[in-house]
Amino acid sequence: MIEFLKLTRTYGDFTAVQPLSLTVQRGEVFGFLGPNGAGKTTTIRMMMGILVPSGGQALISGLDCHTQRAEVQRHVGYLPDNPIYYDFLRGREILQFVAEMHGMERAEAGRQALRMLGEFGLDDVVDEFAVNYSMGMKKKLGLACALIHDPEVLILDEPINGLDPRAARDVQERLKLAAASGKTIFMSTHLLDMAEKVCTRIGIIHHGGLVATGTLAELRQRVEQNASLEQVFLTVTEEAAAQAPNP
Amino acid sequence: MTRSGAAPLLISTWLLVRLRLRRLANQLMAGSQRGKKTAGKARTGNAGKRSSKVILYLGGLMMLVGFGTIAASAISNLHHALDAPDTFWVTVEFSTALTVGVTFLVLFLWTSSLLLTVASGELAKPDWDLEWLITLPIRSDTLLWARILERSVVNPSGAVALISVCTIIAWFSGYRWTAAIVGVVAAWPLLLLAALVRTLLDTGLRLTLQPGQLRNLHAIISVLSIVAMYLAISMGLAGKSDFMLGVAATMPDWLVYTPMGLTVRAINERSFADAALWMVALLAQVGVIVWSGVQLLRHQLRHGVIAGSARESARNLRSAATKARAATGVSRLGSLFSAVQLRELTLLSRDRSFLVQSLVIPLLIVGGQVLLGTSGVATSMWKDPNVLASVAFGLAAYSLSMSAFQTLNTEGHALWLLYTFPHSIEAVLKDKAKLWGVITLAYPTIMFAVGAVVAPELDWKFLGAVLTAFLGIPIYAFIAVALGIFGSNPLEQHQHHKVKPEYVYLYMMLSGLYVYAIVTPYPAQRLIFMVLSLLLAFALWQKARDQLPYLLDPDASPPARVSTSDGLIATMLFFVAQGISAAVIIGRGRVTGATLLVAFSIGGAISYALMRYVYARAKTEGVPRILSAGPNRPVLGIAGGLAAAAFGLTYLFVIGSAGLLDDVSGDSRSFLSLGLWAIPLAVIAAPVFEEFIFRGLIFGGLRRSFGVWPATLASAAVFAILHPALAILPVFAMGVCAALVYERTHSLLAPMLVHAVYNACIVGVPMLYV
Repeated sequence: MIEFLKLTRTYGDFTAVQPLSLTVQRGEVFGFLGPNGAGKTTTIRMMMGILVPSGGQALISGLDCHTQRAEVQRHVGYLPDNPIYYDFLRGREILQFVAEMHGMERAEAGRQALRMLGEFGLDDVVDEFAVNYSMGMKKKLGLACALIHDPEVLILDEPINGLDPRAARDVQERLKLAAASGKTIFMSTHLLDMAEKVCTRIGIIHHGGLVATGTLAELRQRVEQNASLEQVFLTVTEEAAAQAPNP
Repeated sequence: MTRSGAAPLLISTWLLVRLRLRRLANQLMAGSQRGKKTAGKARTGNAGKRSSKVILYLGGLMMLVGFGTIAASAISNLHHALDAPDTFWVTVEFSTALTVGVTFLVLFLWTSSLLLTVASGELAKPDWDLEWLITLPIRSDTLLWARILERSVVNPSGAVALISVCTIIAWFSGYRWTAAIVGVVAAWPLLLLAALVRTLLDTGLRLTLQPGQLRNLHAIISVLSIVAMYLAISMGLAGKSDFMLGVAATMPDWLVYTPMGLTVRAINERSFADAALWMVALLAQVGVIVWSGVQLLRHQLRHGVIAGSARESARNLRSAATKARAATGVSRLGSLFSAVQLRELTLLSRDRSFLVQSLVIPLLIVGGQVLLGTSGVATSMWKDPNVLASVAFGLAAYSLSMSAFQTLNTEGHALWLLYTFPHSIEAVLKDKAKLWGVITLAYPTIMFAVGAVVAPELDWKFLGAVLTAFLGIPIYAFIAVALGIFGSNPLEQHQHHKVKPEYVYLYMMLSGLYVYAIVTPYPAQRLIFMVLSLLLAFALWQKARDQLPYLLDPDASPPARVSTSDGLIATMLFFVAQGISAAVIIGRGRVTGATLLVAFSIGGAISYALMRYVYARAKTEGVPRILSAGPNRPVLGIAGGLAAAAFGLTYLFVIGSAGLLDDVSGDSRSFLSLGLWAIPLAVIAAPVFEEFIFRGLIFGGLRRSFGVWPATLASAAVFAILHPALAILPVFAMGVCAALVYERTHSLLAPMLVHAVYNACIVGVPMLYV
């Protein structure tokens, strides 16, 4: 479903993502773990065609994310780490706009938008300007935008970062529902308990390089029996730091 | 524990001033970082895409000089209007009437620069730095004083307006080279007052008004500031100053005792003791005012610094919205527009400052230019359809620079949303270009409707001018959007950094070139210009499309390469520069071979030099070279030239047998009448400049996206339509030969030889026979 072929990105002399090769199967919930600045957001932005790869390819459903971006977006829903919306537009209007851009009729898009916002518990604020939303509301609106065209793949950048416990729980429940309905989910996070609860497979990225992949059980084996994901994460990133030539 | 007294005040003022200046310096430095390798820390952020701010420095200096000139003529106008006709202008002591008049001038400049600062400054921004400053361990009234002092020093538009007028008053009062120093010293108390009023407005309005009201107020102030600035400028213009001089004459004498009056008195007084006395009175007055102002500020802040939310709540509008939705769901008018266009219109209707910026300010600025301009455009506009069409087009083009040019900036930080849709970004931008192309047609429509009513007669000239302007506007909507892709920084926080000035100037220059198409008396030139503009729109659009995948990329951008649009811009520039220099050189004299050669060479050299400069700045790849590293193959060039000439001469012969030779030989005879000057023109100047543009830039640019033959034929066609009707076919053949030779050699020498040999034969052979 998702495939990276030696995907690389540099900023000047700085290598943000080292040649990265990885395959995520249909129906997987893949957690992309790593400390701040490890290259998670850069990778995700390349999947969305927002950044141009310095080398290699990212493929979704066999389509190149850079050269066939518009095609790819039919299959993909995206939530950025900090969703910013148009000023002076209401939550309802933004969602309706997004639905229309995905090819829905205007009236149908309006009805669908209201229904989605209701499902996400945003009934009270459908007519408030979206820039006045709290972070939790913005993320929920973003998730609604990502789901409104019923995509096969969800790409989520730090979906519950900065949310209060209740909002975080709501979003996690939504993601579990989406996974249960057969969607492929690729999400970055540095929140380990979230990864533990939701993901079926995990990849750890450090200094732009993928240092470990596997199911939670496989990763635990690498360190010791019954190790927590936190121990795994700390061990793996430490090893990588020791090996890295110039951290 | 905070200390009291002067020390913390000075220290905190100094800190604030340094902070503000450091910010300014950082912003300017960021521009000059370009191209430098930063060792060590490798991640360079945004520096790769910035541009230099040289234009800003130059602009500041020009403003200072410009304001000084206007102030000088304003004072002399005031003297003529207010003093008795027989009094001699002795430049020492102002009469009471003149003092009042000059005080009025200073008051007016003070007010308009204050409005300008408020309009461009903090009011529009949702965040408020006082919220942060108040958390520093400084007593709040020290902080307020420091803020006012800091703003009295760092206030560019106030400084430009007031220092220049004070310097001019000092000059007229008999100071000579010290006038500038006197000007700076005397302007400072007024700048302090401006800083106080600005801080009071800023703080008071934020505490009392809703964000929505604040934005509306900001829109009104920005309109007022432009009107005030124009009125101030009108005082210094001959023939336009009557209104303001009339107002100045009604000013009461007590104006002399205002801070502005005391400033004028202090500068004008020649005895040092008296001047000092006035200065003391001024400082005392300003001191009292500022002290009371700070007390008022403390009163304003008695409940603490409370700022509203970023945006007014939309919920109070909810009932109406719900009703509307329940009624129809979708309005009928709305279904005319695509989703993107509907969203743009919604933003326009809700964001007053966007509305004012894009549609009202252009009207004021162009209107002001027309009313205050010395060329009498305002009166001739309704008589001459060409002038009317130029003004109408100019207005629409200006409005496009504030709207269509800004398409990326109106997306701003929400630009990411466009990348999540299954549409190309290009399609979205096209939607927007169409929308703005239609909206801005409103101005010319209204103006032509009025023009049609007042016009002396509705003839072909009127229709031609109207049509040219009407067709130009949608073309320039696309050009504006395409250039806006390069000229905007949608992710910048600060309004002033969202636009790169050089691209705005390029857009303005290109729209200026189109005005040439409107005013030219030759229909053929008009047609050529319209075709060129259309081609330019396509070419720029193509170039902008290269850029689209990189819009949100902080670092990478597509490599700068030679493109067709460069060649088209160079062509238009060549045309206009040649036309203007010919007009200047010839004046009323006769066209001779020498003047033609010189005008042609100047036009060619200007466009060549400008293109090379831009390429060097942008480190462009693939700039055409006269000599390449490989074999330059001059023989190939000469052979190509002979082939083209053979075709050309055969063509002449065929035309001749068909009985059309009279025309041709007439043409060539008029060319030959230029004498020996025709030879360097045909054999050196034309090949050198034209090959650079048509083969180097246009063919080279086309070749990037097309095969050899399409690129060859298209470039030869553009080249051919610029020639007289009978010459089109042979010139086209020559263009094909030159392009093919350039394709083989990758240096300009060979195609230049093709061109030179061809021209030599075509000019020389008839010379031998005729």
